[in-house]
Amino acid sequence: MFGLPPLRALVFLAACAVPMASVAVTADEALPAPAEEPLLVVSGAITNTNVGDTATFDFDMLEALDTRTFTTKTIWTDGDQVFTGVQLSDLMELVGAEGTEIKATAINDYAVTIPSEDWVDGGPIVAFLNHGEKMPVRNKGPLWIVYPFDQKPEYQTEQIYSRAIWQLDRIIVLD
Amino acid sequence: MNLNLPDETSTHSRTTLVQTGGAASALLLCVGLVVWLGWLVLREIDDFSVANSDNLQWSLAQADVEFLQFRLAMKEAQDNPDAMEDVRRRFDIFYSRMVTMSSGRVFHALRESVQSSAPRMRVLDFLENTVPLIDGPDDVFLAELPALLEESEQVTADVRAFSLAALTAFAEVSDSRREGITELMIYIAAVLLALFIGLTLLAYAMFRLFRLAQKRADALQFASTRMKTIVQTSPNAIVVTDEVGVVREFNTAAEALFGYTRAEAVGRLALELMVPADTLARHQLGALAFLDEHRRPRLDEQHFEITLQTRDQHLFPAEISADRAEADNPLYVFYIRDISNWKEAEEQLTDARDRALAGERTKSEFLAVMSHEMRTPLNGLLGAMQLMRDHSLTTRQSDLLDRMQSSGRLLLELVNDVLDLAKFEAGKMRAEEAPFSINRLLNGLMETAQPLAQTYGNELNWRWCGPEGDGAIGDARRLRQVLLNLVGNALKFTRDGTVEVEVEYLDAAQTEIEFRVIDNGIGIAEKDLARIFQDFETLDSSYAREAGGTGLGLGIARRFMRLMGGEIGAESEPGEGSLFWIRVPLTPSEDVGAVPEEPRDCPDKPQRPLDVLLVEDNEINRFIVREMLEGEGHKVTIAENGQAGVDMAELHRFDVILMDISMPVMDGTTASGHIRRGTGACAEVPIIALTAHALPEERERFRKVGMTACLTKPIERPLLLRTLAQVTSGEIPALPDTPAPAAPSAPPVLTVVEPSAEAPADPAHGLLDEERLRAFLSEVPRAAANKLLERFFAEMDRNIAALAETAPDDPDLAPVAHQCAGSCGPFGAEALRRALGRIETQVKRGEQPDKAELEALADLWQQSRSALEARLEAA
Repeated sequence: MFGLPPLRALVFLAACAVPMASVAVTADEALPAPAEEPLLVVSGAITNTNVGDTATFDFDMLEALDTRTFTTKTIWTDGDQVFTGVQLSDLMELVGAEGTEIKATAINDYAVTIPSEDWVDGGPIVAFLNHGEKMPVRNKGPLWIVYPFDQKPEYQTEQIYSRAIWQLDRIIVLD
Repeated sequence: MNLNLPDETSTHSRTTLVQTGGAASALLLCVGLVVWLGWLVLREIDDFSVANSDNLQWSLAQADVEFLQFRLAMKEAQDNPDAMEDVRRRFDIFYSRMVTMSSGRVFHALRESVQSSAPRMRVLDFLENTVPLIDGPDDVFLAELPALLEESEQVTADVRAFSLAALTAFAEVSDSRREGITELMIYIAAVLLALFIGLTLLAYAMFRLFRLAQKRADALQFASTRMKTIVQTSPNAIVVTDEVGVVREFNTAAEALFGYTRAEAVGRLALELMVPADTLARHQLGALAFLDEHRRPRLDEQHFEITLQTRDQHLFPAEISADRAEADNPLYVFYIRDISNWKEAEEQLTDARDRALAGERTKSEFLAVMSHEMRTPLNGLLGAMQLMRDHSLTTRQSDLLDRMQSSGRLLLELVNDVLDLAKFEAGKMRAEEAPFSINRLLNGLMETAQPLAQTYGNELNWRWCGPEGDGAIGDARRLRQVLLNLVGNALKFTRDGTVEVEVEYLDAAQTEIEFRVIDNGIGIAEKDLARIFQDFETLDSSYAREAGGTGLGLGIARRFMRLMGGEIGAESEPGEGSLFWIRVPLTPSEDVGAVPEEPRDCPDKPQRPLDVLLVEDNEINRFIVREMLEGEGHKVTIAENGQAGVDMAELHRFDVILMDISMPVMDGTTASGHIRRGTGACAEVPIIALTAHALPEERERFRKVGMTACLTKPIERPLLLRTLAQVTSGEIPALPDTPAPAAPSAPPVLTVVEPSAEAPADPAHGLLDEERLRAFLSEVPRAAANKLLERFFAEMDRNIAALAETAPDDPDLAPVAHQCAGSCGPFGAEALRRALGRIETQVKRGEQPDKAELEALADLWQQSRSALEARLEAA
């Protein structure tokens, strides 16, 4: 329509529809270097990098991004959980991911593959706040890819459950 | 077609009902099963669609691994304190794992026992105790590290034990779940089987229904074909129409009968096609009205005859059987038969029968007339012979006269027999119903037959067998005639023997009586017994030839018995005697009849010429009575009204006075009163009332003023003569007893003998009384008769016209009607006389006659006059 790839158009539209109060980092800007201890390292087929050929994020950087908050239950927790984080799709956009899937790995070396079909608006977020609190490693922190299970029952499958990786610290975008 | 059809249908419908019920419940069961199964499956699908567990085994194994990594990190930290961060991270990771395994849906599936098992509790305790160390400063941690390592040695076993316990628990959960699924599968299989069986049954039922329907369709087809064949081959025309009368079916016979082809007829209105146009135009459907009224013909409307027309306008009589087949679309079915030939044959038969009957009747009438006509001259001859004996005769002459008289009596008997027979055959005979005395009848019979009995030297008597009776109601005259015939026969065929009459009631109620005439004469051979009751049968015997007779006696007796509802029969033994019996139903009566059945002691006519005073205003009646009396040698003096009569009776003593009742100036009753109360010459002379119709109360009045007897007009000669004989011989006292109201039927009031009682006037044919007219014509010379008739016509033309105009309350009405009625009498204008009599009676009783009745007189007179004129021309 505007000669943009569909994904970009979507983000663009989302950005227009929801003006951010915070300083939003867009795909066109160069990523700043992380000031604190890095939480997430995105590597592989990405175009926007800051540390070497990776895109490395600390807490503040993630918080400064366009975030989403939703409430859902999970099979691993009791009761409703409020998660806040960056949409995976937004993150991939930001780092200029050009692959068809990502390999997400946790601190304990648990690893899953998430296909690009999941990187959609309204899809999973890379959560960094649970009930508005930072998540410690003892409680599946610091990052947790959470799908909006309650909003979209089609996410309530074992495959999706397996993709909901906690204690996330690395993402490799694969071609 | 099939008479069992209703039953079969009901059975079928019952079966169908049962089948339907069964099918419905089976279907309901199936639906229930499917729903239940569906619910189970959906629940399972729901369970499966939402994964409830992560890869649990992996998590548990991971717990082991992560704890080991934690221990490895600790060991490394003993040598290299820089590895402290790794120890902390590994601790956190293991901590996180345990927390995760304590919360979340996945782990709630674990049994409580596993949740609270000792190894887990110990692991949790270890974690809680270690947290301060981990979160504390490195030096403290390092100092405690060896102890922690040692402790963790123990915890490793706990972690493993917990993992194994959880695995076992999960295996159980998984097993039970698989069992559940297996169970579900079995259910599904069972339901599928049930469904399959159900479907098979359903298919079978469907198949059966299909076969049944096919069979019925075949049967229907067959029936329909058969019906069509029946209809088409029927010799009668069959036309079927729908409710409005449009032809639907028209068979071959109908085509032949009406000349339309089936194709032409079907679709057209049956009425227009077959009923003559003028009948339709006049809306005179008549028998076909039900068609117009769209209803089923009533039972009496289902068969009728009607005139129909063919295509070429030929009309023919048809017999139709019609009915309506009730259905959603009612049909009328007509069976039509051309009955032209039948009608023709019927007419011919009717004609033939009518001609035969007419011929028979003419013959009987001829016989009756001839016999009647023969009697009069015969009576004259016999009378003359009797008179001859008053003169001196030689012995030879006397002998000849005896033979003549004997022959004459025989002839008279013969004529009387033939007359009876003819009258009977002409159907003009009715049994009379009057009270009489059986004893008196038999006594009289004995007396009458006694001379004959003496002639043959026989002893004759009668007696009761069983309880005796007397009074009865019946036809005494004919009964007497029959008995006389039987007794006469018995006497004739017996010499110096006995003839006995036995009387016996056949039942206690005395409603049937048997008379037996028993003789000990020559008897009758058995072969002749049946023959003797035939007409003109005489048994060839010397006695019979000696006795003579017509051979009609027993035939007439048989007819009379039949007339009275009785029987006649005979038993006999040749040489021993005969027994003739009759059985008659008789109504028992207290009344034994006041009048002797046969005025034997009194001759039929006065024995000497009488001097008669006739008081009568009607000229015609005057003339006739005078003719009758003068013809018998009596002297007649005329008075034209009551006053004149009184005057004449004052001066001259007559032998008898004939007094008309209704007269101008002074009526007969008043005149009679004057004569009786006066001291004139005729104060004690018999007075006979002449009245057209005597009401009982009038008769009582006649008796009160002292009149001797009463004769009903029109006057019949024999009755007149006999009555004259009775009153002049003193049999009836000239002066009635002093008024005795308690006995109104006392002898002085003469029985009113209705003229021609044997032939009661049939109202339809009673215009003229033929006998009377004939009597008039024979009694009155033709020239005089013509003159009288002329005057009669003139008088009636005038008076009847006046009557027809007269108001019902006019005081002149009764006298004029009376006069006219009187004039009608001699000429036999019966119907008119009766009508006039009715009017007079009504007026006399104080009622007003109907105006219409008065007006009808004119018509009646015209008819009577035409009939009279026709009759006179024929004469």
